Amino acid sequence: MSFWWVFARLGRALLAAWGIASAIFLTVHLLPAAPDEFTLGDPSELGSAVSLRTSASRQAARQALRHRLGLDEPVFYLTRTAGRPVRWQWHGRHNQYHHWLSLLLRGNLGYSYRTGQPVAALLGPALAYSIPLMVLAAALATGLAIWLALGLANASGALTGWQAVARTLLTGIQALPLFSLSLALLLLLANPDLLNLLPADGMSTDYPPLGGVAWLASYGAHLVLPLLSLVLAVLPELTLPLEATLRQELRADYASTARSKGLTSWQVAYRHALPNALLPLLTSFTGLLPTMVAGTVVVEVLFALPGTGRLLAEAAATHDYPLVIASVLLTSIARMLALLLADVLYFWTDPRLRPSL
Amino acid sequence: MRYLWLGNYLLALLLSACTPPANRQVGDPIRIRWARDPETLDPLAQPNQNTVEAINLLHAGLLQLNFQTSEYAPALAEALPTVQLLGDSLTQLDYHLRAAATWDDGRPVLATDVDFTLKLLNCPGLPNEGVRSQFSFIQQLQLDPTDPRHFKLMCRGQAPEYPWVSGDFPILSEASLDSTHSLRQFSLASLQRAAQTTPALLALAKHYQALSQGYYPNRLPGCGPYRLADWQPNHSLTFERKATWWADQLRPAPLVLQAHPKIIKYIILPDDGAAVLALRRHELDVYPSMQARDFQRLKASPLAQRELAFYSSPSYDLLYAGFNTQCPALRDKLTRQALGCLFDPAGLLAGTQLGQGQRTVGLLPPSSPFYNDSLPLPTYAPAQAVQLLRQAGWQFVAGGWRRSPAQRLALSVRYRTNEETFETVALQFRAAAAKLGIPVELRPTEATTLNHTLHAGDFDVFVRILKGSPLGFNFEPVLHSRAVQEGNFGGFSSPTTDHLLEAIVTASTAARKRQLLRKFQVQLREESPLLPLFFMPYRLAADRHLSHLLPSGLKPGYSAAAIISSGSLPAAARK
Repeated sequence: MSFWWVFARLGRALLAAWGIASAIFLTVHLLPAAPDEFTLGDPSELGSAVSLRTSASRQAARQALRHRLGLDEPVFYLTRTAGRPVRWQWHGRHNQYHHWLSLLLRGNLGYSYRTGQPVAALLGPALAYSIPLMVLAAALATGLAIWLALGLANASGALTGWQAVARTLLTGIQALPLFSLSLALLLLLANPDLLNLLPADGMSTDYPPLGGVAWLASYGAHLVLPLLSLVLAVLPELTLPLEATLRQELRADYASTARSKGLTSWQVAYRHALPNALLPLLTSFTGLLPTMVAGTVVVEVLFALPGTGRLLAEAAATHDYPLVIASVLLTSIARMLALLLADVLYFWTDPRLRPSL
Repeated sequence: MRYLWLGNYLLALLLSACTPPANRQVGDPIRIRWARDPETLDPLAQPNQNTVEAINLLHAGLLQLNFQTSEYAPALAEALPTVQLLGDSLTQLDYHLRAAATWDDGRPVLATDVDFTLKLLNCPGLPNEGVRSQFSFIQQLQLDPTDPRHFKLMCRGQAPEYPWVSGDFPILSEASLDSTHSLRQFSLASLQRAAQTTPALLALAKHYQALSQGYYPNRLPGCGPYRLADWQPNHSLTFERKATWWADQLRPAPLVLQAHPKIIKYIILPDDGAAVLALRRHELDVYPSMQARDFQRLKASPLAQRELAFYSSPSYDLLYAGFNTQCPALRDKLTRQALGCLFDPAGLLAGTQLGQGQRTVGLLPPSSPFYNDSLPLPTYAPAQAVQLLRQAGWQFVAGGWRRSPAQRLALSVRYRTNEETFETVALQFRAAAAKLGIPVELRPTEATTLNHTLHAGDFDVFVRILKGSPLGFNFEPVLHSRAVQEGNFGGFSSPTTDHLLEAIVTASTAARKRQLLRKFQVQLREESPLLPLFFMPYRLAADRHLSHLLPSGLKPGYSAAAIISSGSLPAAARK
């Protein structure tokens, strides 16, 4: 595996991300509802007692808004006329896509339609909430999945005791949508009528001074429910396949040899079967990102966390395209990098798979 | 042993972090739930109700709504303006600013600031597109050379509401935003007429944008009672009471100029369920706009009843069903009247709002002095519907209602998806129509595309909310033919109604307005382009130790600045 291979893969990943973002850019501009609907408000509102917002006055306001946002320019270099006869028109560099791309190449993700703020200024603080949550959840889920899978795979014959309970729970959780799961946890553990143990929101407005043990405890207490929701959401899809693969590996000859040498069943499973069982699941582990991103949308809305998932959901609902496109771009880059990481890990663990460059 | 102590210490810390907040004390922040972030605090933009609420804490207008009386009261203005009608097409409003009114930097609030703000509302390149048309009836501000706090507003047209609506916008400081007085060279009328792009205007717009008023409102002096202390987007906003505010010296302090809480904290909790739990755990103090089912559940809980106070008042938001009058089957009023008889407003009010709203005969609430109480309330009357359908020429043949071989009565209903109330209305209508043999297809539509779909005419019936106000007597945005591609979604168009609507807006006396509005309500019932179902209620739950919330039907349903905290809850209530 050479540096050039990684470099080429990185380049392809970036190209793919750019392609996805461009496709989203062009697609969202074909949607019927324009962002000006949200800024200009409800046309039927009776708030103004004396001024009629006629079609003409609203049209003028819409035009001014579209001009301010740069939406009065053509979407792409080449556009087709609406009526017949169909004609194609070349606009040169004066189009929205060109402006977006020029800004992007200079490291500027654009400006939010709703707030006028730079998209990077909105995404930055949101990422600061989401990334630690996702990384922590992914790490916990991975660790727990390995431990659980080892425990379940080591059981001989039919599952009994905690293993039976764990398997049933995992199967049940897998069937539950994340929203129901998170809501159930909230209603169970933050409810004065049931167990009033944890805060209802994922982030306090009054944390103790940063860095102290009290801050850590408060931060941790608020994080329990969102974290638990995300971990439980991905735990079954990691644990159950790993358990099946481990069971298969434990039936292999090398496992029998290890057992005959006097190793305990845990030692056989951990030292010998696990490295082989993990290999086919590397893609699942590195592919946690899409599940996590989808999960954070739900978790951040329910537990009022100001992260990227919520930002993306709200931007999509209000047609704040620059924010949507930037979020898609970042997510696709992260996804491509995760796939690249999976490949690198495969090549690292199994040299036979390495590309010959 | 040492580790055991450490473990115990950490466990104790974690448990204390999980414990709901201790009893409140006087002076503790007032924590209010918001379902969404205001996104911007720009006084020119005001894209949503939360922004408006926040701006009212930071800035002051000439007049402000009094939540106790639902009327406008003087804020920066000394009194309501005196009105003088000039000819038959102009109104002159005479304002005096309070002598005590000052900006945070100590400068007095002057008539030139009002003039500057009005011009700024029309300045190109600024996010003022939404509010610009609201004040387009003000065509000039005349300064008084002898009194810097005195000015006259010249308004186009004549309407009894002018004195109130002319003062409902936040006043901004000219000295801070335009120290060179560059806007003074432009007349208000010239800015309203065309989007000018002179270098002076562009420079002013650039300066305004550079200040990022929407996110850093403290960069400019305000004249409201609070300053923004902290804003964590999508999480919380904290407003801190100014130590000295000009209105503190007024004796007696007018209700609209009272600001009691030292700190007001808005906590953004998008999910209703989580917000209810936060209220129960004392992580919130005020929960406005509560859903009916949550309100009912809390009221039924003995524990919650000990801790919380519950308020409900009818709002000015009307739930209504509209008909596509451009659709051939619904072009005649008899068919529309017949379909109107298939809605059950009484049952829907009880089923969706626990009976807490108000039924109405038209677009005005029953509390309005212009309400036509001689009209009967719309009721569910299937037999009458059949009769009206027959009168309209429909015949029930081969399992359906037909007027001609090609015209069959089959309807589609559009409404915003994920809205229980709308869905219940649509389901009730479909069930009632099915009993008569009218097929109804429900088409819940995503909020962002609903307006576009309605404008495209892709519906027969729609269900939505009409947002009103105590002074909302101008129904042109909903029913005038000039608003067909805007708020008149049903495409209703009638010269008689147009004339009546225009006459209502320009009626110069209350008696004339009353006469016209009563006539309008009769005509609305007759033409039935839409069916008013009921006015929605505003429900509010708050910690019992809070008083003077001024629960009201006006948005947002309470007055945050007026709230008084009477200290901690009695210990018994916590058990």
